[in-house]
Amino acid sequence: MTVMKTSVRNFFAHKGRMALSGVAVLLSVAFICGTLVFTDTMTATFDKLFGNTASDVTVSAKEVKHEQATGIPDTVPAALRGTLAHVPGVASAVPDVTSQDVTVADAHNDRISPSSGAPTIVSNWDATETKAVGLTSGHLPQGPDDAVIDADTAKAKHLKLGDTLRVIAQPGDFRVTLTGIVTFKSTNPGAAVVYVDTPTAQAKLLGRTDAYTGFGLTAAKGVTDAQLKANVQAVIGRGYTVDTAAETTKKEKDDLGGFLDFMKYAMLGFAGIAVLVGIFLIVNTFSMLVAQRTREIGLMRALGSSRRQVNRSVLIEAVMLGVTGSVAGIGGGIGLAVGLMKLMGKAGLKLDTSELTIKATTPLVGLAIGVLVTVVSAYVPARRAGRISPMAALRDAGTPADARTGRIRAALGILVCAAGALALVGASQADKAASGGGLLGLGVLLTLVGFVIVGPLLAGVVVRAVSALSLRFFGPMGRLAERNALRNPRRTGATASALMIGLALVAGMSVVGSSMVASANDQLDKSVGADFIIQVGSNGNQPITPAAAKAIRSARDIARFTDYTIVNATLTTPSGKKVKDELSAASPTYPEDLRLDTVSGRLSDAYGKDAMSVPEGFAKDNHVKVGDTMTVAFVGGRTAHLKVAAVTSDDTAIEHGTMFTAISTARSYLPADRMPGDFMMFAKASDGKAAQAYASLKAAAHDYPQIDVRNQADYKKLIRNQVNQLLYMIYALLALAIIVAVLGVVNTLALSVVERTREIGLMRAIGTSRRQMRRMIRLESVVIALFGAVVGLGLGLGWGSTAQRVLASQGLGILQIPWTTIVVVFVASAVVGLLAALLPAFRAARMNVLNAIATD
Amino acid sequence: MTTAMTVPTAGGSGERSAVAAAGRSVTKAYGAGETRVVALDAVDVDIVRGRFTAIMGPSGSGKSTLMHCLAGLDTVTEGRIWIGGTEITGLKDKKLTRLRRDKIGFIFQSFNLLPTLNAAENVTLPMDIAGRRVDRDWMDRVVETVGLGGRLKHRPTQLSGGQQQRVAVARALAARPEIIFGDEPTGNLDSRAGAEVLGFLRRSVDELGQTIVMVTHDPVAASYADRVLYLADGRIVDDMADPTAETVLERMKSFDGRGRTS
Repeated sequence: MTVMKTSVRNFFAHKGRMALSGVAVLLSVAFICGTLVFTDTMTATFDKLFGNTASDVTVSAKEVKHEQATGIPDTVPAALRGTLAHVPGVASAVPDVTSQDVTVADAHNDRISPSSGAPTIVSNWDATETKAVGLTSGHLPQGPDDAVIDADTAKAKHLKLGDTLRVIAQPGDFRVTLTGIVTFKSTNPGAAVVYVDTPTAQAKLLGRTDAYTGFGLTAAKGVTDAQLKANVQAVIGRGYTVDTAAETTKKEKDDLGGFLDFMKYAMLGFAGIAVLVGIFLIVNTFSMLVAQRTREIGLMRALGSSRRQVNRSVLIEAVMLGVTGSVAGIGGGIGLAVGLMKLMGKAGLKLDTSELTIKATTPLVGLAIGVLVTVVSAYVPARRAGRISPMAALRDAGTPADARTGRIRAALGILVCAAGALALVGASQADKAASGGGLLGLGVLLTLVGFVIVGPLLAGVVVRAVSALSLRFFGPMGRLAERNALRNPRRTGATASALMIGLALVAGMSVVGSSMVASANDQLDKSVGADFIIQVGSNGNQPITPAAAKAIRSARDIARFTDYTIVNATLTTPSGKKVKDELSAASPTYPEDLRLDTVSGRLSDAYGKDAMSVPEGFAKDNHVKVGDTMTVAFVGGRTAHLKVAAVTSDDTAIEHGTMFTAISTARSYLPADRMPGDFMMFAKASDGKAAQAYASLKAAAHDYPQIDVRNQADYKKLIRNQVNQLLYMIYALLALAIIVAVLGVVNTLALSVVERTREIGLMRAIGTSRRQMRRMIRLESVVIALFGAVVGLGLGLGWGSTAQRVLASQGLGILQIPWTTIVVVFVASAVVGLLAALLPAFRAARMNVLNAIATD
Repeated sequence: MTTAMTVPTAGGSGERSAVAAAGRSVTKAYGAGETRVVALDAVDVDIVRGRFTAIMGPSGSGKSTLMHCLAGLDTVTEGRIWIGGTEITGLKDKKLTRLRRDKIGFIFQSFNLLPTLNAAENVTLPMDIAGRRVDRDWMDRVVETVGLGGRLKHRPTQLSGGQQQRVAVARALAARPEIIFGDEPTGNLDSRAGAEVLGFLRRSVDELGQTIVMVTHDPVAASYADRVLYLADGRIVDDMADPTAETVLERMKSFDGRGRTS
């Protein structure tokens, strides 16, 4: 009981000193809980939406795995409606026509697609739609010219009744007038939905009036969905997909689930890094509290407390800290989730805070992680407290003796670092990316652990070097700051290590990112012969409609156009192995637009009749060589025997691992309605007419807002922007770990100031001004931050460079170190150091001289 | 007989007067009303330049408070204090700090040295802080006076208590302050080490012309001084010139007795 009492009293007596550790626990737990709440809310929102929209039973075309992406949805015959209507248990059978391969533009020809990347859906209006949406103004589509749109999109894109919309679908364009606005009954996370009448949808989206994309069946009273499904299957056979509402919902969820899971685990991964960084902070706090309490603990031991009791009393404090921090963190997490939802709302992903989903496991997970991490972190300091001898009570308190770094620690650290370095070197020399990747991961882990272990040793070297270059210019205060940073290398090491982790990741990522951009640019310069790249949006996941393609072909000053599409097929190698893959089918001019190295054969020969190329890796794995015949079953078409005419090198970033064939070959084995349109077009300007050609292409594509025409410079910018966007997202997520690390610096300084009360008093007594005092603390903070930055950036550069070497054969051929980023991070670290010292420095300067001297 | 004051001093004139520090009606009180505790009760004091003054008194007599106030470490409730020609009462922290830096030396009972600096660096610290050049000849002389020769590169933890206090004395002397304040500088030392330190203080007064004020409760320590001021209940109750350990002890006994009966 006494143990408990002293722990509780100590905890409250030092609540100020515990505060920052508590904040670290809070932030980590908040990030974890926030992620869980946010993703659970998203899942719940989609569940509700899908549940609302699904019919009792849905009949649609039989799913063909690996279907050709023609841009027109698969259909079922319209005549099926009569059959379905007579199936026992069917109350109604409503035809559905829905397409997502559409672009909708407003009167100014601007896309109204959601900016969040959510789909644009055009569908026929039918009775079943009222399950999901209700008309809130105007009237429903009554003729071929009418359309209604969802209220969120109308609001976001400033659309009003009477506005003209242009729908661009694969079969052709059509214009409709907005006659009504519908509002979703549950939250619509962001899709833009347009309804037109059924004949219009059939004619314009499918290009035929004798088909639908499916039927929504309503069960008669007393008939379950499963019964209805069985009845339907008994009548129409196995040639169709028949799903109950539950199955439909599940399928739609699964489609999205992968993305949501990825997001969840990525965010949890970054939360994990923050937790890791928080551990350093907590270890430091408890170490310092134990050190400051040495005399007190000695007294307790002298009075008869056992080691275990002392040990336990520290751990009980840790539990209290963990619980307090976690509980606050759970609250913070919910707040964070709400904030994230608001932020996502700005980006076009609408989530309703009234649907906030907090699963019972969320607070439990948060609490468990928070408490566990705190207790585990406090374990080593607690054990150290237990080892304090009763003699400590009798010794002159003063400052605790410098913690010397053990030789064993040094040897171990250097050993781990060396092993890590070896793994990194091994990774950079590995000839296979896969094995190199494994070694890289191992090397990153080992060097990180190794650097954390040798941190205290490095502190001596790096801090001296950094201060020789910077602090010494600040006179005696600089020298004192340097000495202070060095007096407890273990503490300085741990504080800087926390910062090191975040910065190493930033540096590593930035090296890989800029190498990606540089390598891609280099390859664009070297191997792309085309002047212009034409595609839908930025990733070309929709085919260019025939009308748009025709318009683009009308551009002037163009020497040649290359068509490029992707067809799906099942390939059988000569040895009999079946592989599902896609082939790039292009005009024979494509090898001039994109010059790729071959390992054997000539790429232009792959564009001959019934010929193809395979990539190096595939050839090696399947023992395919030039002259072999591959059996290629085009999905939805006939089976061809294509001769391998070339093996392409894998050393490319563009079209890495792609098989090529002529578009004419693909066409000859695929019926016209299965043959996808161009996913991309390449164009080469006539000699000396690049500018005119560019302008002409832009003008030709002007009427097709879904089309982007890019010259090489535009394309480079696109790649750079895409890479940077990813990097910025990673940086933003790493910011959490860095914030926790900065809290660690604040914490160490604040506790050091308390620990050095007498010293500060003495210095003030003999004439150190407040300004000098503040400067001393600030400089110490800066030197710790720069120590973390130097080691972290160094480590990150090592990781990034190794990663580049590992991926060098995968098209990441050029190592580009983003010096600007590195320098900015370095300078920012110094600034962060200054900011971290703000409060501790203020406290030190304000310390009452007499009290400081009198402090025992 | 509350004070032995004969020459009323005041600041203003820049010339070196015979008084290094002075206090007039120095009052220090804590709390207010019923709970008001008076630590110093309208004390008038002059510290004569070039002399070694000891302040004695029983615990709670206000001797440490008086020293802290004279040295500008603590503020007074009423009254005025001068160091050299400068009035320090009412000075802002910035000016007060500079004054302490430039005109005052300190020797505390313990924890006098910064553990991160070696002996030599500790000695020159006040000058480093001030950004002043160290007068090498003077430094050598001071170091020789306190007998630190071979230990200048040692860290405080590598020095004995007596050696640490000698470093503190050297630091106080090195900057040639107007006045040195010692707060029980030998309180933590055994008698031999204490005697050494007191010997250096005595020599610095005799040979270097230093002014020293020392608070102590040790009659032997007080006997090294030229003059002893006795404090009781916040007032100066006696002033003794050329004390010996015996006379000091006698005087203290009489105060103790009086304190007990009154």
